[in-house]
This record gives sequence, structure tokens and C-alpha cells, in this order.
Amino acid sequence: MSEELKPMLEGIFEVGPPTKLLGAECPTCGQKFFPKPIVCPHCLEDVQEIKLNTEGTVYSYSILRIPNMLYKYPQPYASGYVDLDIDNIRVYGLFDTDKVEDIRIGQRVTLKSGQIGIGLDGKECLRYYFTPVDGGDK
Amino acid sequence: MRAVDIIGVGMYPFKNHKIGLVEMGVRAAIEAVKDAGIKSSDVNIGYFANMQGGNLTKEFTTGQAVMWGAGVNKVPVFNIENACTSGASATTLAMMSIASGEYDIALVVGAEKLNVPMVPLLNPSLRDINVLEGNVVINGFAQRAVRHMHVFGTTKEQLAMVDVKNRRHAAMNPMAMFYQRPVTLEEVLNATMMSDPLTKLSCCPNADGAAALVLCAADLSSKYTTKAVHLKASVLVSGIYDEWPDMQTFEEDQRASRIAYEKAGLGPEDISAAECHDAFTICEVMHTENLGFCPIGEGGPFIASGATALGGKMPMNVSGGLLGKGHPLGATAAAQIVEGVRQLRGECGDRQVIGAKTFLTECMGAELRGDAKTCTVNILTK
Repeated sequence: MSEELKPMLEGIFEVGPPTKLLGAECPTCGQKFFPKPIVCPHCLEDVQEIKLNTEGTVYSYSILRIPNMLYKYPQPYASGYVDLDIDNIRVYGLFDTDKVEDIRIGQRVTLKSGQIGIGLDGKECLRYYFTPVDGGDK
Repeated sequence: MRAVDIIGVGMYPFKNHKIGLVEMGVRAAIEAVKDAGIKSSDVNIGYFANMQGGNLTKEFTTGQAVMWGAGVNKVPVFNIENACTSGASATTLAMMSIASGEYDIALVVGAEKLNVPMVPLLNPSLRDINVLEGNVVINGFAQRAVRHMHVFGTTKEQLAMVDVKNRRHAAMNPMAMFYQRPVTLEEVLNATMMSDPLTKLSCCPNADGAAALVLCAADLSSKYTTKAVHLKASVLVSGIYDEWPDMQTFEEDQRASRIAYEKAGLGPEDISAAECHDAFTICEVMHTENLGFCPIGEGGPFIASGATALGGKMPMNVSGGLLGKGHPLGATAAAQIVEGVRQLRGECGDRQVIGAKTFLTECMGAELRGDAKTCTVNILTK
């Protein structure tokens, strides 16, 4: 992975390794968020940035088989929701582009990052993705 | 608050057209004005619904041009963008304008031009984190389908039956993209896979088109027409957006319909027929459940039983729905209400729901954090 590649948006994840999602926690009500909101929408108080747990379980997923030229994702690609351990929030993300057919509801996954598609500036960039914890058989 | 009627409707067919956004809107508006028996100068306020004009054909404040094309000037005109529910959201505002006593007659027009080169996959915002991580509209609904199949045992065949049924309905609707063009279960299942389990025929087609409604204070409608339909409830809600989106139910449907049923003094068991936002086959299965027409999780067996077909106990999308009519975004939700009015007047020919007394329309649009940003429920009675 070349070092000049940047995340598709600043402030979303720490490249690592290990890659970590940058979430937030409200000091008043304790609610955790991803991504970090401007303020806690429940309390309107400032939130504190936290690094979220990197492991979780697939809640639901989809495999897009037609081209998506928006950000030049590989074809096909999988994306969906993962329930993060401990933090107890459901986050959206891409799944490992080499293991598209391995994703199932209930699958244990862990967070990584790598070059996938292009960013808002049209240049290649880094995205976070979830990959099966047991590695599958690939 | 004053009671509100719908006294006129109009529609420009949902097809691919050569004419532009303004002309389609004008033609639907003129039909509605004439159908209502009013003059354009009787209109006190106008609402124009459109979603993609600014994006695809680079038009803005289009409503004023549409209204004037139909002879409406001087009065307040609002341009409404609320994704797929724009036409119903405009209707809610029109109803409030009249119910408040401030205005007597409102014209609602929804129109959309999608037959242009290069319509990209729909997404709510390029900077939305979910979109930056691979979400587009079809994926959101595929994820719901995957979840619904996993939790409730819904099958691919049950999902495909929604399209077969709605195409059968559309085959009887000259306003529909797929007029006289039904499909078979095998054709739906074997069509190009888009986002598992949704094939190309599990997705509504883009279309151009327009729909228009004339709303009038109920105590004045007999001055203009003998065929007024009562608008008993026009409800718009938005999402919860918490950190725990639920992909197997439509909480917004449950909340909007509960409010609408209460306002109308009716329950789901009292509704003769309904239109819902069947942008993808899974949507109709879930709307059928979440509007209260069958228990949660039983939408698959309910469609398989024939209950939601014309002649069944709860006919859904007798117009053909979005799957059969096409989905000109800003026009869609207004067209659902047009269908309701025509069904209650008994004007629908081969696709008429015999003895229809009450009609519900549901629409849903755009997504934020896994929730619908907009959800509308309208209830009409004879």
C-alpha cells in the first residue's frame, strides 16, 4: 500500500495498523456515535472522540453486482451493517472485496483498511472495510 | 380546522417523453383544473413537487413556471423537494393551508424528467459516510430483503410475486410504463441480478411523468363538482436516526399510519385498497406488514395467498405501483393519490376495486442512518 493514499474523508478512521473507526461519546448521556456528530443530537452537548471496537457481527449486507461508477468500487462489492462489540452501535461499511461471497448474517468480522475506489477528489483513496475474522478459506 | 376534499385530478402518462419537465407538469395541472370544474384564477395557493430538476435538467423554482403554464399567477407558489414523497408532502402542505382557513383552493403538481442521458445510481448525499462506504439506494433495500428473508423466512419467489402482480395491474393502466406488458415469475427471477436478491425486474423503472390534484375546502366543493373525494388524513413523518437502525421493519410506516388512522377514525381493516412505495419488491412486502394489513413477518405468505391482488381482500398497487407504472420521483406520490381518487369515483375500468369506499396511499423517500427521511400516509374516503 503506497503511503500517500489518504482516507476518503478526514476524521472517519485511523489508518493504523490497527485500523480504528473514530466515533464519539456524549459525556452527558453516554450515547456513542459513528461518525462523530457536530454535537450530541439528544443533549446538544459537545461530544468526545473515541476509538471504536474493531470487531463485530454482520447484521445485514448486500452484494451490488452492477457497476457503481460513483466512487469506482470493484464489481461486485459487498457492503452493509455491522454490530460492533462492546460499543453496541450498528455501523455501515464495505466488506473485504476479495471475500464478497463469504459474507453472511451473523458472520464475525474485524476492521481493516486499504485502497478501494476513489474519493471526492477523484483520486484513489483508502477506505475502511470489514473482513471475516476466521479468514474464510481464501 | 376545516375538512378538505380533493375535487380534481390529472396525470401525464408515466413513460419516456420528448417533452420537458414544465410541459408535463402543465398538462397534468390543466387536466386537474378542468376536472375540478374550477377556473385557474380560483386557485389560491400552489405547491410544485420535484426531486431531480436541479440536478438532471438544471431547472429551479420550476413550480412558478408550471403554475403560470396552467394559468395560475400572483398567488403563493412553493417548490417542494422531499425525495419520493415530494408529491404527498406537497399535498400535506396544501391540506394544512386549507384546513387552517387561510386558503380555499390549492393546486398540487408533481412532475419529474428522468429520461435524460446518464442518470446515476441514486444516493442521498455524496458526503454521507454510508454512501462513501458503498451504500446506494438499491443496496439499502437489498439489505432489508436479506434481513427479512433471514428473520422471517421470506422467499425469493414471494418477492418476485410482487412484481408479477403489479405488472399484471399495470397492464390494465394506460398511464403506466408497462401498460399491456405483464411478466412471468421466471422472467423476474432470471433477470439480471442487481443487488442480491433483487433482480432488474425487482426494481421500478425510471419514467417521466406528472400528476396533479386540486384540493378544496369541503364546505365549498359542491359549488364546483359532484364527485368530491374526502381527504381524511395527510401525514408526513421523518426518521428516528438512532445508532441502531432496524432493517426488517419500517417504523416510519407504523408511526405515520397510526397517526393517519387516528385522524381518519379508521383502522387498517377498514381500508378497501392501497398504493405503497414499491420501488423494490421487498418494499411492498414490508409496507403491507407495517401499515397493518397483515402481521409483521407475514408479508411473504400474504402476497403468495393472492390477498394483495385485484380481487383479493387487500388489493395493493392496483395502478401497477412504481414497479408497473414507473417512478418519476416528484410525481409518484401525487399519482398514488390520483389513483385513490379515481378508484373511489369508480373510474378505473378493468382495474377497478369493486365497491371501494376508502383508500390509503403510502410513500417513503431517501435514507439517513438506515431510516427513511420521509414517509407519508394519506387516507381518502368516498
